Amino acid sequence: MTTVNLQYYAQLREQAGSSGERVDTAAVSLRGLYEELRARHGFSLDADALKVAVNTEFSDWERPLRDGDTVVFIPPVAGG
Amino acid sequence: MNHFAIATTDIDPAALAGGLRQPDAGGFCAFEGWVRNSNEGKPVDGLAYEAYVELAVAEGERIVAEAIARYGVSDACCVHRTGNLKIGDIAVWVGASAPHRDEAFRACRYIIDEIKHRLPIWKKERYVTGESDWVACMHTYREHEHEHEHGHGAHRHHAHHHHAPAAPSFAPDYSRQLRLREVGEAGQAKLAAARVLVIGAGGLGAPAISYLAGAGVGTLGIVDGDRLEASNLHRQTIYSAADVGGLKAELAARRVAELNPAVKVRTFVEPLHAGNAVETFGQFDLVLECTDDMRSRYLSSDAAVLSGTPLVLASVYQYEGQLQVVEAKPGTPCLRCLWPQEPAPGVAGSCAASGVLGPVPGVLGTMQAMEALKILLGLPRPDDHALLLFNLLDHGVQRLPLDAACGCARRGGCAEVARRAIVAAQAGEAADLAFGSLAEALAAGYALVDVREAEEIDAEPLDAPARHIPSAEVEARAGELGRQPVLLVCASGRRSGHAARLLRARGLGNVYSLAGGVAALRLGERVAG
Repeated sequence: MTTVNLQYYAQLREQAGSSGERVDTAAVSLRGLYEELRARHGFSLDADALKVAVNTEFSDWERPLRDGDTVVFIPPVAGG
Repeated sequence: MNHFAIATTDIDPAALAGGLRQPDAGGFCAFEGWVRNSNEGKPVDGLAYEAYVELAVAEGERIVAEAIARYGVSDACCVHRTGNLKIGDIAVWVGASAPHRDEAFRACRYIIDEIKHRLPIWKKERYVTGESDWVACMHTYREHEHEHEHGHGAHRHHAHHHHAPAAPSFAPDYSRQLRLREVGEAGQAKLAAARVLVIGAGGLGAPAISYLAGAGVGTLGIVDGDRLEASNLHRQTIYSAADVGGLKAELAARRVAELNPAVKVRTFVEPLHAGNAVETFGQFDLVLECTDDMRSRYLSSDAAVLSGTPLVLASVYQYEGQLQVVEAKPGTPCLRCLWPQEPAPGVAGSCAASGVLGPVPGVLGTMQAMEALKILLGLPRPDDHALLLFNLLDHGVQRLPLDAACGCARRGGCAEVARRAIVAAQAGEAADLAFGSLAEALAAGYALVDVREAEEIDAEPLDAPARHIPSAEVEARAGELGRQPVLLVCASGRRSGHAARLLRARGLGNVYSLAGGVAALRLGERVAG
């Protein structure tokens, strides 16, 4: 298991009901992690509609997860 | 008196110059304004001036008297033409005689700047193409506002207080920002010469427009096709309750004129589209994207890249905001470098659907104005490019550096990606049709398909027969549409437009979207009624 810190923005924050959480995951990549969270929280957005950043840098979805990573999922927003 | 005149026939410079001869004058200088053969890149073959003559003469006399008092010149006069003029004709003549040249030059400059700014004169340009445009003859940069001192002890604003009514001769005082070492007179002149386009005069646009106007940005373009609604006021605080129902672009222009009359405003009361966005961006030095419309945001990013015009993007969601500056230079990231495809309407959230607290767009719109001023003034900025995320509840700020090499570069580069997107958007815009009523659309042979959700339809049913297929299902149920021309309808035209473009991309060329949706029909009824 890998322990990661998650931060959610915009719709994801609303759908998760919190702006962040710490989770233990069996997923090995960011994509796998997102799919796991999507199933749990009912996220409406596909991974391809999001950007993901790890430790304050944008990242590829296939990046392997490491213990202690801070992962941020960012959807585009349009309000004004 | 009689230092100013409106002329309906050719101006005679020699006669005017002769009239300025005075025994104490050591010289004189004149400025002639001529009709040129183009305006903002369009060939012009002539123009016509119209004036509110009584007011123009009274104000013109005041301006020349101010110049004489302010600079202590021997004499000065000015004549402005009205009527039809051809290329090369003298449109305005200004002359001043004085003991020394400096006062003569300054008085001349003062008179022409103030004439351009204060006189109720309009010109109609006749373009070679046969079109014509009325242009208010307003000017922004006034040299005398940038004078520190001059020979006759007439301090800045001095003459205004004595000779002119307060409103038309208001002289902006930028001293608080001039005092900043990085701004100064040189920076202020840059702002006065700058042309900034603000797309969207809503929650983000309202503060952005205010601060840019206050700072003395010379020309502000304001794009907004919407009318003010009461639900806008909690976050769009430049407007008044009495303004509800008015066109926001025009209301915002009025607000700018109240805040800083030195700013020239160009209003656009129709949203930009793929057919004119690149050209419009090219007429400005910088653009702020302040709409709540994902399609507009992507169009703006594409137009910025293709026109090389820097763009400041911001958007909000409930208590959060995002900010990105698109430099629009090769090797710098655009919006599509982050999220390559525009998400379907509804996915990205809107203030109407998700809710928003007024200060959230207030903060982000203010940051857009800040970024704009930094760019225009050449203030220090980070070397790299980033997406900024703000959470105003927990004060969380994330600055995520963007690497252009990981974005559009993988798909042919920003310019190529933008070019393809604009071409596709132009094809898609052919799908938008405007009708005054649904009955008109039925009479024209269109079958109606309401793509709104069931609860929206219950709240506001259409007044014409329509099938119901929610927007999310349209693509999967395309087979049900038949061969007849189909008009998709939703609340605003966004979901129906998106669905129509999806279906057209699949070869269903007979599918259209009601431009502006049900809201446009409602507006049409109100205007008609």
